[in-house]
Amino acid sequence: MKLSKVFICTAIISSLVMAKENKKISIEGSTTVLPIAQIAAEEYMMANPDVDITVRGGGSGVGIASLIEGTCDIADASRSMKDKEIKTAVNKGVNPVAHVVAMDGIAVVIHPSNKLKEISKEQLKAIYTGKYSNWSKLGGEKKKIIVISRDSASGTYEAFSKLTMDGERVRSDALLSASNRAVVTTVENTPGAIGYVGLGYITSKVKAIGVDGVQCTKASILSGEYPLSRPLFMYTNGNPCGQLKAFLDFVKSKEGQKLVEESGYVGLK
Amino acid sequence: MKRGTLSQGIGFTFLYLSMIIALISVGAILFFITKNGIKIISWEFLTSVPRRAMTQGGIAPALVGTFYLTIGAIFFALPFGVASAVFLTEYSPNSVVVNIIRMSINNLAGVPSVVFGLFGLSIFVRFFGFGVSILSGSLTLGIMILPGIISASQEALIAVPQSMREASLALGATQWQTIRKIVIPSALSGIFTGVILSIGRAAGETAPILFTAATFYTRGFPDSIFSEVMALPYHIYALMTEGTHPEEQTLIAYGSALVLLLLVIMISGLAIYLRQRQRRYDLA
Repeated sequence: MKLSKVFICTAIISSLVMAKENKKISIEGSTTVLPIAQIAAEEYMMANPDVDITVRGGGSGVGIASLIEGTCDIADASRSMKDKEIKTAVNKGVNPVAHVVAMDGIAVVIHPSNKLKEISKEQLKAIYTGKYSNWSKLGGEKKKIIVISRDSASGTYEAFSKLTMDGERVRSDALLSASNRAVVTTVENTPGAIGYVGLGYITSKVKAIGVDGVQCTKASILSGEYPLSRPLFMYTNGNPCGQLKAFLDFVKSKEGQKLVEESGYVGLK
Repeated sequence: MKRGTLSQGIGFTFLYLSMIIALISVGAILFFITKNGIKIISWEFLTSVPRRAMTQGGIAPALVGTFYLTIGAIFFALPFGVASAVFLTEYSPNSVVVNIIRMSINNLAGVPSVVFGLFGLSIFVRFFGFGVSILSGSLTLGIMILPGIISASQEALIAVPQSMREASLALGATQWQTIRKIVIPSALSGIFTGVILSIGRAAGETAPILFTAATFYTRGFPDSIFSEVMALPYHIYALMTEGTHPEEQTLIAYGSALVLLLLVIMISGLAIYLRQRQRRYDLA
């Protein structure tokens, strides 16, 4: 009798293990791309009920590492892969293929009480390297600048530092937030704070300021005028096929790009 | 004499105030979470999937995910926990090795939960290749609650009167028969109290499942132990840090927090009830 119980347990476990794996898509990576991946997955599953898609954040670096490790099917990234990552991937027999799914601008946000209207790339660099530490340097009131940046696993951080920092490091006393939303929350509660987030994360409680005289808008990002714009990627291992291809085609389709716009990003033409 | 009364008075007042502070903190948390979360709680919230970019719909996948993870954790931790406790109380000689084992178990109880998460990531997710899955998350949670189950079981086993063991052995039963038929059955309700408290802990932890099991969004219910799942504590964390629609998502996060809180209170309540019953049984 005891033995029969063991058999039943084994049978249940093995049936769980045997369940089909092929209609599953696992997406991981950039918190900037996360809203796009989530809404696309939601709509895609609505139309294809037999497909199972899971979406998680973590950051571009984490997603790419998982793709290389083989623990996810699609890596969301808000930056292109680094040479080092590509080398690691190739060594492990992974052939990363990039798919541009949307355009995004990195908006510079400050507390609404701050009167500053725009900033230049040089000033941004001066603030983030620590050369400027008071708003009076930018013609504002005498108040300490509280610098908020993203952690190093963030693609937004990589893109921001590539576009503005010319290879210099962010000042060591900057507050590092783990997600776009966390940056917005900190900035909206901290007078004197400055941070940067993806276009989709701007809320009415923070003030987005222009960079080099250009406001961060869909039009200025699409025309390439806005200096801090970048493409957003989904990476796959090799050219996608089957459900994976169908999903990526959906994201790039007219319908998918409409969802991109709805999430606050800029669709591809 | 007077001085004695005075210091006693001060002492009692201090004890009384401490109790009030504890009560106030519990009350404040309950009040605050309930006030913010109650608006959204409905049957539909509990039974539907997230919709419209996670601004509408409910938390059903997170509830189901937490259920599976907790059951899985107990499934792994209970047999090993009880077996370890039986060994330590009934069989083990008082040797150096056993003392080291005891110490390790106590230390395991003090390990921060995020360390279990990283351990699970490197061992279960990467090394064994289980991926981010119910299996990895359950194993990680199982190891986390193991020390709790061991010490609760040990206490329950020690509480079984020595005379019962002796009576059984005197009747010619072997030690194994004594343990199986006398000691474990008498200790069962104490063991279950420990298990139930561990369920509460496993259901409420975020860090161990952060890298091993939890996912931001999935619609379906898991179809194998290798599925990623949504889980209540992680759902709250993810909505507050990674959502793009703060107004709607903060409300959902508070609603989820309220559900989680009620769930854990209910589980702990069950443990308290069982313990009371056990006490009455012991006195009788």
